[in-house]
Amino acid sequence: MDDLRTPSGIFFTLLGLILLGMGLFAPDTRAALTEMNVNLYSGLLMLVFGLFLLLMARRAARHS
Amino acid sequence: MKLAPVDYLILALYFAFVLGIGWRLRKKISTSGDFLTSGHSVPVWITSLAFIAANLGAQELIGMSASGAKYGIMTAHFYWIGAIPAMLFMGIFMMPFYYGSKARSVPEYLKLRFDEKTRGYNAFTFAVMTIFSSGISMYALGLLLHLVLGWNFNTSVLATAAIVLAYTYLGGLTSAIYNEVLQFFLIVAGFAPLAYLSCTKSGGWSGIMSRLPANMTHAWSYMTSASQNNMGVDLFGMVAGLGFVLSFGYWCTNFLVVQRAMAADSMSAARRTPLIGTIPKMFLPFIVILPGIAAVALAHMNLGYDLPTKAGGYDYDQVLTTLMAKFYPAGMLGVGLTGLMASFMSGMAGNVTAFNTVFTYDIYQSYIRRGAPDHHYLTVGRMTTVAGVALSIGAAYLAQYYNNIMDLLQFVFGFVNAPLFATFLLGMFWKRATAHGAFSGLVSGTIAAALTWGLTVAEGKGGVLGQVHQFPSVMAQNFWIAILAFSACFVVTILVSMASRPRPEKELEGLVYGLTKMPVDTAKWYQRPAPLAIAVSILVILLNIWFA
Repeated sequence: MDDLRTPSGIFFTLLGLILLGMGLFAPDTRAALTEMNVNLYSGLLMLVFGLFLLLMARRAARHS
Repeated sequence: MKLAPVDYLILALYFAFVLGIGWRLRKKISTSGDFLTSGHSVPVWITSLAFIAANLGAQELIGMSASGAKYGIMTAHFYWIGAIPAMLFMGIFMMPFYYGSKARSVPEYLKLRFDEKTRGYNAFTFAVMTIFSSGISMYALGLLLHLVLGWNFNTSVLATAAIVLAYTYLGGLTSAIYNEVLQFFLIVAGFAPLAYLSCTKSGGWSGIMSRLPANMTHAWSYMTSASQNNMGVDLFGMVAGLGFVLSFGYWCTNFLVVQRAMAADSMSAARRTPLIGTIPKMFLPFIVILPGIAAVALAHMNLGYDLPTKAGGYDYDQVLTTLMAKFYPAGMLGVGLTGLMASFMSGMAGNVTAFNTVFTYDIYQSYIRRGAPDHHYLTVGRMTTVAGVALSIGAAYLAQYYNNIMDLLQFVFGFVNAPLFATFLLGMFWKRATAHGAFSGLVSGTIAAALTWGLTVAEGKGGVLGQVHQFPSVMAQNFWIAILAFSACFVVTILVSMASRPRPEKELEGLVYGLTKMPVDTAKWYQRPAPLAIAVSILVILLNIWFA
């Protein structure tokens, strides 16, 4: 394991999927002071970040 | 605050990854150098993020949001006038000597530049300090988890310490650094949404400004006298004490952070490590301080959020977690809590990996057993990792007697780190500085710090030896302790150096400015240190003006 982007990418992809799942299937989960679907949006962002890291890792692996 | 099963799932997932990274890296360890210094092989983007993550412990996160609620945007000075200029200086001017001297640690540089006693003094004080920092961080976390989630203090402290021990024991510094990057991402992921949510809820920055006293939303405007701002600090104390002495002392000489840059794979990468690190660093106040400021505004809005209290006033250390409870639903709450755990682990692993290197190379190999085969030192390094964690746990229980975590940290830095920067400044840029000068300077600096603390009073504390002066706040006292310790060390080092015999110039090659060939950087122009530093400086100046 030389490229840290792979495990970090997997981690954030999984994290994103969990939150996204919460946001989609339990959309009424709200904290006292929030109106928006926090899990949905933050899950999406984390998923994008995780996939971006994985993409970077793949590109780096192909170049070397 | 109650956790749902999904929150525990996220926490467990994180623990699995942290341990997994340690497990995968264990095969890379075959020498003491691999274990303690990463064998100079870590890519620059990783060292840069680890450089700031190692400092971003739980006490930093909790303390910064607490200070945000207590002092307002002035807290950002710890970043914008404190850390950033010091990190730039370190990358541009000091890294060539650290990396070029081939020293494996900061105390070892002192041994090469000065002598054994200066190294011994620094190694010993540093070892004690890292254990304390680590213990304070552990205490902060244990207390918070107890207050917020009702978890048992002993269990949560021991369990997290065991995980840190496992991955640092397996993969050494590389494992600590790799995990610090994951932890950094997680801290941002866990707390950036909180900053966004709390800030929009309180009406954005303009809404916050309209609800708070003006001295909490301006960083520079209320500093002509100490009585105008909540910190109780004037302009000179801030710029000289925090901006110069404390920050340069910490970021330029503290082995905890310097070690991350030294692990880089080339001189150029080592110099760029703190420089690239400044870019995320300058925006961290928006994640770690802003929620604290927003919390005060929210408390004025009758939304059902009140600042946490304890006997005798506000409990600012709980601001961060009470906000999380109000803004994060199950799921995101797990991420926030995991981010808090991650910050604790990165801080603790940073301390433990710095401690084991200094102990193994600068104490054990120098004073206890020299010239043993390398695998012996690898074993010692591993044993020291275990001992470091055990001692930190002891320090955590000791820390229970003190209240304000940030102030205590500053206080310890004032005694040990503040005089140190004078020693490095003279050691690196004045070839006439001698070993006797450096040593007597360091000792006088520490004595000056202790005397200042003993003779002055702030907020009813200190003054053990009498009362010569009263400071408007503990913060101001800390800054002045640092200023006086630095000045004493600077003056005494020069005086004693002039009176003692200089070292032949030939022995100082590679260690002192003027006798060292400065590295010629062949990287693309935008990757070179100077353009990078100029760009960062412009950005930081703009931030300071924006929030002045």
